[in-house]
Amino acid sequence: MQEPELHDLSDDADYAASQQQGSASMMRSDSGKHSSSSEHDGAEVVYMKDNVTIHPSMLASERISGRLRLIKQGSSLFMTWIPYKGQNSNARVSDKDRILYTIRPVPMTDVRSIRRHTPALGWQYIIVVLATGLAFPPLYFYNGGVKEFLATIKQHVFIVRSAEDANVFIVNDFQNPLQKTLSSLEIPRALSVGSEPSTSFSVGEASVDENQERMSVDIQNDNINISQYNERQRQKAHDPARDLSIQVLEKFSLVTKFARETTSQLFRDSHSNGYGAIERRSNSLSSIDYPSQKASDDWDKVPDKSPVPQDPLEFDKLSLVWGKPRQSPLGSDEWFTFLDSEGRIMDSEALRKRVFYGGVEQKLRKEVWPFLLGYHDYDSTYAEREYLKAMKKAEFETVKKQWQSISPEQARRFTKFRERKGLIDKDVVRTDRSLSFYDGDDNPNVNLLHDILLTYSFYNFDLGYCQGMSDLLSPILFVLEDESESFWCFVKLMERLGPNFNRDQNGMHSQLFAITKLVELLDSPLHNYFTQRDCLNYFFCFRWVLIQFKREFEFDKTLRLWEVLWTHYPSEHLHLYVCVAILKRYRSKIIGEQMDFDTLLKFINELSGHINLDAVVRDAEALCICAGENGDACIPPGTPPSLPAEDGLLYPQQELDDVL
Amino acid sequence: MASRRRMLLKVIILGDSGVGKTSLMNQYVNRKFSNQYKATIGADFLTKEVQFEDRLFTLQIWDTAGQERFQSLGVAFYRGADCCVLVYDVNVMKSFDNLNNWREEFLIQASPSDPENFPFVVLGNKIDVDGGNSRVVSEKKAKAWCASKGNIPYFETSAKEGFNVDDAFQCIAKNALKNEPEEEIYLPDTIDVAGGGRQQRSTGCEC
Repeated sequence: MQEPELHDLSDDADYAASQQQGSASMMRSDSGKHSSSSEHDGAEVVYMKDNVTIHPSMLASERISGRLRLIKQGSSLFMTWIPYKGQNSNARVSDKDRILYTIRPVPMTDVRSIRRHTPALGWQYIIVVLATGLAFPPLYFYNGGVKEFLATIKQHVFIVRSAEDANVFIVNDFQNPLQKTLSSLEIPRALSVGSEPSTSFSVGEASVDENQERMSVDIQNDNINISQYNERQRQKAHDPARDLSIQVLEKFSLVTKFARETTSQLFRDSHSNGYGAIERRSNSLSSIDYPSQKASDDWDKVPDKSPVPQDPLEFDKLSLVWGKPRQSPLGSDEWFTFLDSEGRIMDSEALRKRVFYGGVEQKLRKEVWPFLLGYHDYDSTYAEREYLKAMKKAEFETVKKQWQSISPEQARRFTKFRERKGLIDKDVVRTDRSLSFYDGDDNPNVNLLHDILLTYSFYNFDLGYCQGMSDLLSPILFVLEDESESFWCFVKLMERLGPNFNRDQNGMHSQLFAITKLVELLDSPLHNYFTQRDCLNYFFCFRWVLIQFKREFEFDKTLRLWEVLWTHYPSEHLHLYVCVAILKRYRSKIIGEQMDFDTLLKFINELSGHINLDAVVRDAEALCICAGENGDACIPPGTPPSLPAEDGLLYPQQELDDVL
Repeated sequence: MASRRRMLLKVIILGDSGVGKTSLMNQYVNRKFSNQYKATIGADFLTKEVQFEDRLFTLQIWDTAGQERFQSLGVAFYRGADCCVLVYDVNVMKSFDNLNNWREEFLIQASPSDPENFPFVVLGNKIDVDGGNSRVVSEKKAKAWCASKGNIPYFETSAKEGFNVDDAFQCIAKNALKNEPEEEIYLPDTIDVAGGGRQQRSTGCEC
């Protein structure tokens, strides 16, 4: 446990748990290289390493740890990685994921290369690229052992360091006649790598730590049967499972590709100072004009009839394989399994994940939304919630009375009140009137909208009323069907989205800025296009962001999208990735038709009602996971719906006079 | 020989929330009126082909959010405007009082090259409401203001009934055209004028 390359992992829950698990089920061995077992048809385990882990997402809770092995059978060497079963620290990793990511024995003849990564901080990892060009996801060696892994391979198959990249090891299995033939065809390359002194590959050191390596000789429980490998190879063509595995491999390949490109992009940016822009955020946000110094330089590179640059993420494939399929909405029976006997939600993260992937049935929304909005604490009991409801009802009535008690005479001398009320009067009668819930003359629900909004404008007098708020309240009232509860849930929503409505529009600008940076990160050709076209203010996304896509989807779809966004799973800023996902979905149309700002705005306004919600949410999730920490870095702190970074006055005094 | 290119005339409609900007635009372009418009968020535009003499133009009519809190967006949308339409509700005094704010805000944000002569048109809308009984801004008062601002053309309209809407937009288009520099109308095939033009004023086009 004193691996020199290990960094302090004591605060990593996954690591601690896996260590525990490891010591319970495994025994130490003196040899890391030659420990063997020959119980499986002459198969010999020549290398085994525990706590080799993949990171399917940026969430630590979704990491999957497993055991990596090299197995020799006859003259063939196989690599396999099997995730641990029933590992309590990874309770959130579904069996499905485990099966999905399992690497069943792959012969080294199918491996083209192995890339080794040794970051200064964090774990070493390898990326195994197959001869087909596909790749497995990065395998993180929590307990070290990359060198040993490579050394073991070298003992059994021909492996050389790439002349182009010292961290890439090219695998050529000369046991395989076909591979041998192929290799001999690449003579110039083979010669250049072959001429490299083999000492540059320092296998000698590999055994240094071997006494500290833990090794298990127990492979009884793993369902590997290499002798069936050849049989399976023959059946492959008709095996439906093969299609799945190909998809999975493609997924991995995309991740690898993305990781590579992100790395090179970051490298470029750090030199061209592009990322400095984020640090200068506070300055640039105050200006809504983002100058495009590149525009003139790039202009002449754009041909008249423009071919569309390829999406660096190969987005179509990405969304296909990354985004998990949507589930059916959460229903009452399942909902109760999340509650303990007193009504507490036992595992709020599991609930949020469940809602993220499936949404909530309409009749259950009334129960679930107050949690998602933060009005109810997840660990509150039924009784506490009933009590809160009563207290809050009284508090609501108190605030409501403040404006109700203004007589017509008083109102005549109270211009601000009249104007504010006038705005609300005008907007509630044009909010979702095509819904039966709000249609018809003298609809009581329209009056409720009015009363709640006017009460809110007294509750938060500084922010007041602003157009768009009625759009945000309408679905809440529709779902909760209770004036006071709707009011308080709206208050909670406005805690997150209030900055959208600030006079200085700072909440909007920080979100539009973040979209700019995310597109730059996730689709630089599209970013370049927007730069050329002077579209970097992203005002064409204004309506999307201001009212959370309320006008872009049918009403019931908006409800679904909102509850998905409110889970803040996998990111509280998923809505920004939704923006990027939609733009990417139409990127070839936007670029191919050479849309200018006006055309783009019109095009986007007219997308309303035509966007495939499920597809876009899947895409957004995939983008969010792919972007990882680089994506987080694009989003300035305090960007809605994040709560403001500092306490104090939300709405500075000098603005109050302007804010009606 | 100079080729004749169809010209784009950009018109911005401004005015307080709920005075009928979206309705006026839809009545003019689509000949439709609905009681169920939603408050405009951000901005949108409609286009309509118009003909003057023997020339065809595309009128691009921009509809913007009426709440002043969104005015900072104007920079992006007002740019390159050829005419600005100021709308108020004849039944709401405040919406008339605010015309001056809208005018000034537009001139600041669009920063036209010749603000003194930039064409505006004022529309007093909703004259149909309550048979005119709830009217609080008289035609005389409105015309006086328009005169004081350099003889801005004034129309009284009802977007709901389609009253005077066509005439108003004919005038709007004409004024937008007046704002266009001559050299953008007749384009020699080989000369790129994308960066040129706006500084010079039209001298020959007196429609």
